[in-house]
Amino acid sequence: MREGSDLTTGPLSVGNFVNLIRQTVKQDQLFQNQAIKGEVSQWKQYPSGHTYFTLRDNVGQMSAVIWQGRCFIDPSIKEGSEVVVIAGVDLYTKQGRIQLVVNKIEPVNAIGKMEEALRELKLKLRQEGAFDRPRKPLPLVPKHIAIVTGTGSAALSDMNRLIENRWPGLRRTIIGVLVQGENSVREIVRGLAVARKLSDPEIAKQRNQPPVDVIIVGRGGGSPEDLWAFNLEPVARAIIASQIPVISAVGHESDLLVSDMVADVRASTPSNAIERCVPDYNAIQMLLSDYNERIDSATIRQFSDARSRLKLLTSMLKAAPMAGINNVRIKIQRLAMMLNNSSQSIITQENARMAKFEASLKAVHPQRVLERGYSMIQNDRGEVLSQIEQLSIGQNIKMSFADGKAEASIVNLEKKGK
Amino acid sequence: MEKGKTYDQAINRLEEIVASLERGGKGLDETLQLYEEGAILLKQCQEDLKSAEGKLNELRLEDIEKEISKD
Repeated sequence: MREGSDLTTGPLSVGNFVNLIRQTVKQDQLFQNQAIKGEVSQWKQYPSGHTYFTLRDNVGQMSAVIWQGRCFIDPSIKEGSEVVVIAGVDLYTKQGRIQLVVNKIEPVNAIGKMEEALRELKLKLRQEGAFDRPRKPLPLVPKHIAIVTGTGSAALSDMNRLIENRWPGLRRTIIGVLVQGENSVREIVRGLAVARKLSDPEIAKQRNQPPVDVIIVGRGGGSPEDLWAFNLEPVARAIIASQIPVISAVGHESDLLVSDMVADVRASTPSNAIERCVPDYNAIQMLLSDYNERIDSATIRQFSDARSRLKLLTSMLKAAPMAGINNVRIKIQRLAMMLNNSSQSIITQENARMAKFEASLKAVHPQRVLERGYSMIQNDRGEVLSQIEQLSIGQNIKMSFADGKAEASIVNLEKKGK
Repeated sequence: MEKGKTYDQAINRLEEIVASLERGGKGLDETLQLYEEGAILLKQCQEDLKSAEGKLNELRLEDIEKEISKD
């Protein structure tokens, strides 16, 4: 190849020179089987089946071609896609144009690694129970909302406008933070820390404000990368740490981020966060005046009911003749008298019955029997003997009389009927 | 609503009072007590709603951090 650069042989034709370059780059492996990363632009697929595009980045660019059928082309590749190509350099002699001939093309999943980290974080939080921890309910009427979001953002002006529509002059503190880029995570975490401090009743008192009772953290829509801060652990931890309810309001309806999964309330958009936590002032006033009216009218009804009952009783009393009352009195006296009389006669009856009992009891008393000439025989254990079989010859017996006792011995026994 | 109830508690109690009075059948003493309690709660709620009004405070993170650490 050195001979081409030997000017002593005379000037080279430009075509030969270009060919020379072409041979040089085609022989160098560094230029022939290189993985190159860049962004696709001017992506054009021709009916011939060849695909032409420019691969570029901030520093430089190169035109590239994929010959028909050379390799599989991921259908997701389009204008702006980040891709990695395996390509070699070729040079078109006719136009002196340098071009990448692509053997393989693949989209770069820019957030592949981040996705992996996200999966791990979700798994960890789920195991900790962070996703099904009890959620704090929103206050019916917030006295002080803290909004952690980007200052001057469209999301913030939407939220402010909506608050003014629903509850003009509702107290709020907006904590302006970066919501995308390298420093956003740290700023969002700090912003949430400030909001938490403002929810401390002591600090609120010093500041002469009601404590913050709702925190909204969020931002408007953007690419997954733009919203990524809300998928990171420090932000999730800062939300979980809050003693007061936190509403996560990131991006659009379709964006579900870790912040949404750990927050007390997930709002689909920043505007939705306001709809969720700020009631309509007029509706609340109407509710209160409704209660007011109902308490008044129910109370009045209770009293008028009582009054009409009282009226009824009064008129009944007035209608009752005095004679009626006297009649009752007489009736009661008579009843009392009857009661008295009847109890007296019961006692007399009972006394007579008692006397009769006493007389008959006296008649059967053993002493009375002895007095009539009978005597009672007992053995030496004091048992009363009433049958001949209880006796034996020579046995000692005790005999009781009405006026004394005697002891005797059995000399003969004669059983009846034998 | 410094002493006693929060707005949420007050509004819940008001709901109970309204229902109880509308059900009726209470003695006059009790009716009067409920009425008075309701009137006080209504006033508290109204005052409480006023406390929700305040200035809009919009600050960059650093500024509000400074402000709080000053307190």
